Amino acid sequence: MTAANPASWRESWTARAPERHWLWLCVFAVSVGFLLIFGAQRSVERLIEARDLLPLALYVPSLMVVHLSLVAVRFRGDQLLVVAVALLSGLGILMHYRLGAFGADTLTGAIRQYALYPAGMGVMLLVTLGAMRGRYRHLASWPWLWALISLGLLAALVVTGQRYRGAIYAAGFLTPSEFLKLSLVIYLAAFISARAAALGAWRHGVLPPVRALLPLAGVWLVLCALLLWQRDLGMFAIVNLVLPLLLTLGTGRIGYLLLGLAAVSGGTLVLLRFFSHGARRIDAWLNPFADPTGASWQLLQGLSGMYSGGLWGQGFGAGNPEYIPIAASDFVYAVVGEELGFFGSVLVVMFFLLLFQRGFAIALRCRGLFARLLALGLTTVLMVQTFLNIGGVTKLIPLTGLTLPFISQGGSSLLASLMAVGLLLAISDGEPKSRGRTKRRKG
Amino acid sequence: MNPLATFNTLIDSPAWPTLQLGLHGLFFINLLYLLKRLFDLRAAAKLKALPKPKSLVGGGLVLLVLGGTFGGVLAYQASWQLMGMTRPDFIAFMQTYDRRQFNPAHRIARGRIADHRGQVLAYSEERDGRVQRLYPDGPAFAHVIGYQDPTFGAAGLEGSANAHLNGSTPADLRAWRDLGQRVVTQREPRGQDLVLTLDAELQRQAFAALDGRAGAVVMLRPGDGALRVLASAPAFDPNQLSAGLFQRGDPEARLLNRALQGRYPPGSTFKLVLAAEALAAGQTGPLVCAPEGFTTSARYPLIRDHDYYSARRSGMTWRGHGSLSLSRALAESCNVFFAKLGVQLGHERFAATLNDFLFGRRIPLHRSAHGSLTMVTGEAPRIAKTDQYGLAQASIGQGRVLMSPAHLALITAAIANDGLAVKPRLVASDQPEALARLMTATHARQLQGMMRRVVTEGTARGIAMAELAIAGKTGTAQNADGAPHSWFVGFAPADRRAPEQTLAIAVLVEQGGYGSTVAAPLARDLLLQAQQLGLLP
Repeated sequence: MTAANPASWRESWTARAPERHWLWLCVFAVSVGFLLIFGAQRSVERLIEARDLLPLALYVPSLMVVHLSLVAVRFRGDQLLVVAVALLSGLGILMHYRLGAFGADTLTGAIRQYALYPAGMGVMLLVTLGAMRGRYRHLASWPWLWALISLGLLAALVVTGQRYRGAIYAAGFLTPSEFLKLSLVIYLAAFISARAAALGAWRHGVLPPVRALLPLAGVWLVLCALLLWQRDLGMFAIVNLVLPLLLTLGTGRIGYLLLGLAAVSGGTLVLLRFFSHGARRIDAWLNPFADPTGASWQLLQGLSGMYSGGLWGQGFGAGNPEYIPIAASDFVYAVVGEELGFFGSVLVVMFFLLLFQRGFAIALRCRGLFARLLALGLTTVLMVQTFLNIGGVTKLIPLTGLTLPFISQGGSSLLASLMAVGLLLAISDGEPKSRGRTKRRKG
Repeated sequence: MNPLATFNTLIDSPAWPTLQLGLHGLFFINLLYLLKRLFDLRAAAKLKALPKPKSLVGGGLVLLVLGGTFGGVLAYQASWQLMGMTRPDFIAFMQTYDRRQFNPAHRIARGRIADHRGQVLAYSEERDGRVQRLYPDGPAFAHVIGYQDPTFGAAGLEGSANAHLNGSTPADLRAWRDLGQRVVTQREPRGQDLVLTLDAELQRQAFAALDGRAGAVVMLRPGDGALRVLASAPAFDPNQLSAGLFQRGDPEARLLNRALQGRYPPGSTFKLVLAAEALAAGQTGPLVCAPEGFTTSARYPLIRDHDYYSARRSGMTWRGHGSLSLSRALAESCNVFFAKLGVQLGHERFAATLNDFLFGRRIPLHRSAHGSLTMVTGEAPRIAKTDQYGLAQASIGQGRVLMSPAHLALITAAIANDGLAVKPRLVASDQPEALARLMTATHARQLQGMMRRVVTEGTARGIAMAELAIAGKTGTAQNADGAPHSWFVGFAPADRRAPEQTLAIAVLVEQGGYGSTVAAPLARDLLLQAQQLGLLP
């Protein structure tokens, strides 16, 4: 049992050697990326200066702090998750730098940009340290708190939001709906794990238990109404995929999944019929060449960029993302495709898959229902978000306006994604033996 | 030594492109190596703190779902990123709107554009590793064929037939096999050729005949709308586009396709429209035409005939036409007759006539998702009920009535085609399409006879000859800018009944002077050329 629970930090240091090795490889890859971007950005009037190294200089110690802290607290959880996140967020920094994010003139703007990554990694670490050793189970204590927070976040968006490009964004640099993904998953996991038996008791195996479902249905209705009101297609899809999935896996009733499918198709129909915003996006998706210079311009410029990237890509910094409107947030994957080629896209997707596979593996191994649903929900949210973003940029599905986790520009998106990973890491640390046993006996 | 300074000099050195390529490869190798090490050390990084799963079903399902969804996304991405050339719409979009210099779409060999005899009017050739679009005839076809340029976009048929010229989606198994070979061998695809109805030789002669003057020539087959000539001058050289061409306020308006888009007062050629309406209304005269002219009120100047002024210039008094029939009035192009006729027919009939003759339309000659080559028809603002003089002016093609050369050619062709207007077409494979019946066959034949008399004994008798029986109508359109515009519209031969062996023509020379002395001989020469080229019997 010493391997599972290292007694000294020296043992922990040895146990986490693979993580250290992999992280160095990440640092090397990101450094090569920076060299390439420097080479592409160097021009007659602009020399590469010491301050250009700052993003890289913040990346390396951030990883070091995370690794050393995990060693110091004798963290027993996953090592691979840390590496996948380190690589993907490293690519994110490269993309932000490449797309000119680190060029603020004001000091506060610069601090906000440069501090975002270390702060995000710090938050991830704090979440892990705070929730590890089974402490994440306290999150399940007040499910209604999380429901209130979820609705509050959305309500705040409705009150302070500003309309831009057909959807609502909150004032300032925070996008509350990013954190909604976290609070909602915690609420659902807590609610379902506490009432699993009641929710699983379908009458004659065909009729869902209406009374047990009522509170959940109430929250769901208000949530969906607010999301449709704000025309947030992406969040709507995420909610309606995660909810039935968690219900099905929490109760073993496949009927929930079928209900979810019905809700998604119904919601899509409503969106198409009553919201011009949704209909326009569907049109731009189905007939991109009907209005190439208008509604489909961004999509087609993204695809053009990827086409000119070909199999091997133009090289980091050598593409022309300036032709793709708002490339830095929603369409960052098109820039990846242009500069790293199809081969590079496959590699990036593989690291995403590694992350998701690991997330699901953690969920499958959890004994406690809450932990299992939490891990499952968090991973599903990240996966669906990634799928909707990449699928939208490659024109497989309509655009939903979701960001690409870890890579897209946007502080809220990065923070929320890193917090989700922090929770996954904490769950992978397992539960203390003795307490876990008493809990199970009670249950 | 300062490493940053060294790095800056290294970037400037000629070795950098090679080094950059090496670093690009190193980045990929690095990521691959990381994946390999992740696999190698997987045992050491097991989830030790969590119990082993009881069954492998869940893990298998996860792999299946993840592999399926994201594998699908990547496969679809490859269908754009690696196989984009199978999507002609996409290639056309990139060639028109993508400014990325190294986009392979700019290196695709587009199909050729050829006239109905197969003479090549536009083709692509690789020069210095870059495909260039070449136009052997330069300005003569500039407005019809247009241009395709990464900086300036696409215009004309190069724009509207863009997808066709770039190739198309494989239709059968063989086409798919060819495509597969191209993907493997990395050969750029070739587009499809486009065959036009135009006659290159005739078009060259028409452009040369305009001889630097601004103007337009439209020649088409009345029976099926096949355009033989669509010339507009002054033009630009599509081989040498420059930004100056696209700046606003080009005094010569070289980008304007005068044949399709230019609007001019039609002058006496408009009398054809009024004559057709007079036939329909049964008001064929005779009308008494006073030599001193006609007006609707003493407040307005008299509308007079050309002969009045020429007689006065030579110090004589003109005795006038006296009583004229419609046929005679058209032959002599009598302004007084048609001004009176227009007022007799009245405002309502006049407005209805304009609508029947397709005024105020935009007719696409070739259309695709990437744009269309469109002709505009004439326009005439509604004349107020009380404005009799305006109606009289409009009836002789002056005042605020404006028409495009293509519209007049269309009307002339309809008269030659026994009243049925057929949509003009440029692409040989487009099917003929009836637009509208402008008049009954009986009235059309009567009008054909009247137009023949214009040449045998009327204003256009200067171009009468034995080799070819031409029928037509001259026009001399006063305008505010200076000398009058010179018009001639007509068709030949007028002594046969077979529309497929006939050609209709409209010639406009901006500020060319009299229609009978400038536009009419030009039209006659072109029709004779067409006969020599075997397009007319």
